[in-house]
Amino acid sequence: MALTLEIVTPEARVYSDTIDTVVIPTVEGEIGILPGHIPLLTQVESGELRVTKGGAVHHLAVGKGFAEVQGDKVSVLAESAIEEEKIDESAVEKAMERAEEALRGKESLDPAEIERLEGVVRFAVAQLGVKRRRR
Amino acid sequence: MASTRDIRRRIKSVKNTRQITKAMELVAASKMKKAQQAALAGRPYAQLMASMLAALAPHVEESMHPFLAKREVKVRGILLVTTDKGLCGPLNANLFKLVADVKTPAKFAAIGRKGAQFLARTKRDLMADFQVHDRVPFPEVKVAIEFMVKQYLEGVIDTVEVIYARFKNTLVQEPSVRPILPLTSVAEFIAHASTEAGATAKPDAREMLFEPSAQQVLESLLPFYVNRTIYQHVLSGKASEHSARMVAMKTAKDNASKLLGDLTLEYNKARQAGITQEILEIAAAQYASS
Repeated sequence: MALTLEIVTPEARVYSDTIDTVVIPTVEGEIGILPGHIPLLTQVESGELRVTKGGAVHHLAVGKGFAEVQGDKVSVLAESAIEEEKIDESAVEKAMERAEEALRGKESLDPAEIERLEGVVRFAVAQLGVKRRRR
Repeated sequence: MASTRDIRRRIKSVKNTRQITKAMELVAASKMKKAQQAALAGRPYAQLMASMLAALAPHVEESMHPFLAKREVKVRGILLVTTDKGLCGPLNANLFKLVADVKTPAKFAAIGRKGAQFLARTKRDLMADFQVHDRVPFPEVKVAIEFMVKQYLEGVIDTVEVIYARFKNTLVQEPSVRPILPLTSVAEFIAHASTEAGATAKPDAREMLFEPSAQQVLESLLPFYVNRTIYQHVLSGKASEHSARMVAMKTAKDNASKLLGDLTLEYNKARQAGITQEILEIAAAQYASS
């Protein structure tokens, strides 16, 4: 028995494969999902998502979103998601600085924009966390 | 036969028209590329979210969230997504046909100037109109969405629906009506669409687990879904607009080229006839004087 995992963001379908297990970061902490999991709907927090497939572990950074388990299908809807190999540390740091800079002038921004920028920062932190985990 | 001068004038004006339509075609083509990319990239996301909700529907109670509650539909609320500018073929006219099909009482809101004008002209109940620029910034769409949701929650309207041109490909845009609220109608709609497509849904009958709680998950998922779906529809509408405009301009340009060919032929014929006439006259005069 295998699970199918699908990770989709507004920009693209980032991941779509059959896997063995997946660990998803949620607002209540990490949850591991094995085949036969009961139907579940939960909120995803930005962080590290681990996929195990044939003994190998893949790491992805995901932004805020939702995850659903139905039968043997795991769907993750995230604002953003990226595979570990594709994370560009310096670009992420720059994006983070820019967003933090913009957030400093908070009063002049509307709430939706602040939320978006905070999302960018959180996702950046998650990416760096995934990338620097082994060092 | 028209005089050569008239034809020359005509040729000049047709040439000008061709030049303009050609320029507009190029502009539309470059905008189209961006708009299409945006519309297509967001599609899997919107689809997955819709199927997520459809799967969710049997597991939630109507009382859990105002978006889920089914009420008697007295007044439909329709958001009409059209273009700001014309010259895009039958795109807007097709959307207006859909609007004309709405026979039950309805209140409208419009994105795009053409739609607002049409609704005002046909004396329909236009609640508000919104402007969204070419790059479709989310905050601009959000204003419209918030407006619709507010009207819905206050009971002014009993449904939220979107009429827009669904982008299929460069040549085909489908005028469509999509239900957004209440969500029960969405579940029905999706179920209908998937059975039509021949997909076999295999619902998981076991009870669904919500973390942290159903209330919390729904409270963030449902508004998010509404925002995202309507935004996706507007993106799709933009992609359709630019595609339709490009095709319309290309047709206009091709027509102008064809017309130009015909006119040039006519002009040459007229010119040749004139020359022949002159030679005849000279020859006749010479013959008479000799």
